[in-house]
Amino acid sequence: MSTVVSAQQVSKRFRDVTALDDVSFTLEENRIHGLLGRNGAGKTTLMQIMTGQLLASSGRLTIDGRSPYENETVMSRVCFIKESQTYPQYFKVRHALESARLLFPGWDEDFAQALLADFRLPLNRQVRKLSRGMHSMLGIIIGLASRAPLTLFDEPYLGLDAVARHLFYDHLLTDYAEHPRTVVLSTHLIDEVGELLEHVLLLDQGRVLLDTTAEDLRGQVVTVAGPGSAVDELAAEYEELHREILGRYARATLRGTFGTAERARAKALGLDLEAVSLQDIVVRLTTAHARSGDATTTGTRKKETLR
Amino acid sequence: MNRVLTVTRVQLVGWQNTVGWPWLLLIMIFAVNYAVFLAIGDIEDNPTTGALISIYIVVFVTSINWITQLLPFSMALSVIRRTFYLATALFLVVQSVVFGILLFLCQLLEDATDGWGIRLRFFGLNFIDQQNPLLQIAIYTMPFILLGFLGIFVAVFYKRFGLTGMWLLSTGTLLVLAGLAVLITWLDLWDGIGRWLTDQPMAAWFVGWPVLLAALLAGAGYLTIRRVTP
Repeated sequence: MSTVVSAQQVSKRFRDVTALDDVSFTLEENRIHGLLGRNGAGKTTLMQIMTGQLLASSGRLTIDGRSPYENETVMSRVCFIKESQTYPQYFKVRHALESARLLFPGWDEDFAQALLADFRLPLNRQVRKLSRGMHSMLGIIIGLASRAPLTLFDEPYLGLDAVARHLFYDHLLTDYAEHPRTVVLSTHLIDEVGELLEHVLLLDQGRVLLDTTAEDLRGQVVTVAGPGSAVDELAAEYEELHREILGRYARATLRGTFGTAERARAKALGLDLEAVSLQDIVVRLTTAHARSGDATTTGTRKKETLR
Repeated sequence: MNRVLTVTRVQLVGWQNTVGWPWLLLIMIFAVNYAVFLAIGDIEDNPTTGALISIYIVVFVTSINWITQLLPFSMALSVIRRTFYLATALFLVVQSVVFGILLFLCQLLEDATDGWGIRLRFFGLNFIDQQNPLLQIAIYTMPFILLGFLGIFVAVFYKRFGLTGMWLLSTGTLLVLAGLAVLITWLDLWDGIGRWLTDQPMAAWFVGWPVLLAALLAGAGYLTIRRVTP
């Protein structure tokens, strides 16, 4: 597998805000990457830099080894769909699709038509008169039918109902299987996309908190439940992210290596091991980070980044 | 270059609203003018209207919309700033020439029908009438180009530097002009300048100076757009 996106110490400062702070990571070709994080974590800024819409204040970000800023060769292989996209005032749905057909070399018209029918989007309606959800559908259709080798979705489904969201996931997976490409999906609905993601990049306050494959992550974070003293004993050897106590009974979310030996040991202590959903992992990590961030300095924060 | 042509095709998407609208409006204004002067009846001298200016104003507004609306949309579809700017400039120049030729043809028709049967002067305004057809077309075309690049530059400048930038730009321009006026008064040059201005041929007023100014604005717009955020 080769690297598509590579970021080295990318920072972006606006007047008094540091949106991205020393961000480094790589994204591999033909995978679905999840770009996760709270509001204001820097996800959109990062995607804007990745698509040449913004310039980083410092650091270097490349796509296929070249900077995307004002680079026609690179940009013709990229499609970036964002939730807040504006269209010219006079545009109807068909005008937006016609423009996309002209501009994306890999555009698949049959696929676009099939998506239109599935989403029941009216071709002749003015874009500004579309409902919130239909507006999102238009972006999703353009993003999927463009078949761009690097496709980025930034919160693509604001206002979409559950049926339409699952249509999106299904189409994305099916089309991705037939036409592999690199997808970056930024979203807050982590549980819904948990199964889709192959790689997770978690941002918090402009920093990379997590950069790992989804599979590794699930093996790294586990919830143990059982008598409080037994939980204490096990938790001492791990990084504890969260704990709930109910009398003598405790549940703790721990991070570390959980191999066969470790699992057997937990069993012997009378503890139950539970898998943790991706959403819970993200919530626990982000809140644990916020707690420790208050007390520790930058140096220790950086160490926490998982590779 | 291919990409530039593709982007100009995107600018034609929904052309009825951008290229067609100024003409629809002009035809409606013409109809109103025609009806009014027909109702007034026979008038001793040629009734002349200034309504032709409406099409220039609409084109000016359209050029601002290219930057405020079409640029963010095109960049969302992975068009880079340079390509968008070149495509827009090309589109503007071609559109201006086509509009200029159409206005010239309207003027010919107006002359041939003796002012649409009622000696109305709508397209041909006496002071811009020329014998040379090419010069006449250029006189119709150039204001489109100048206003277009002015609109593009102002919109790009606003997008790049925001309200503060616009305020500084307008204040700065005013200060420079006022300074020039003071300097000219101080050196007692007004008479000479006045004579020089009236000596300028019509072609310089409508073609020569606008070309120079449009080129300056086009260059400034190009330099400004390179760092614009959609």
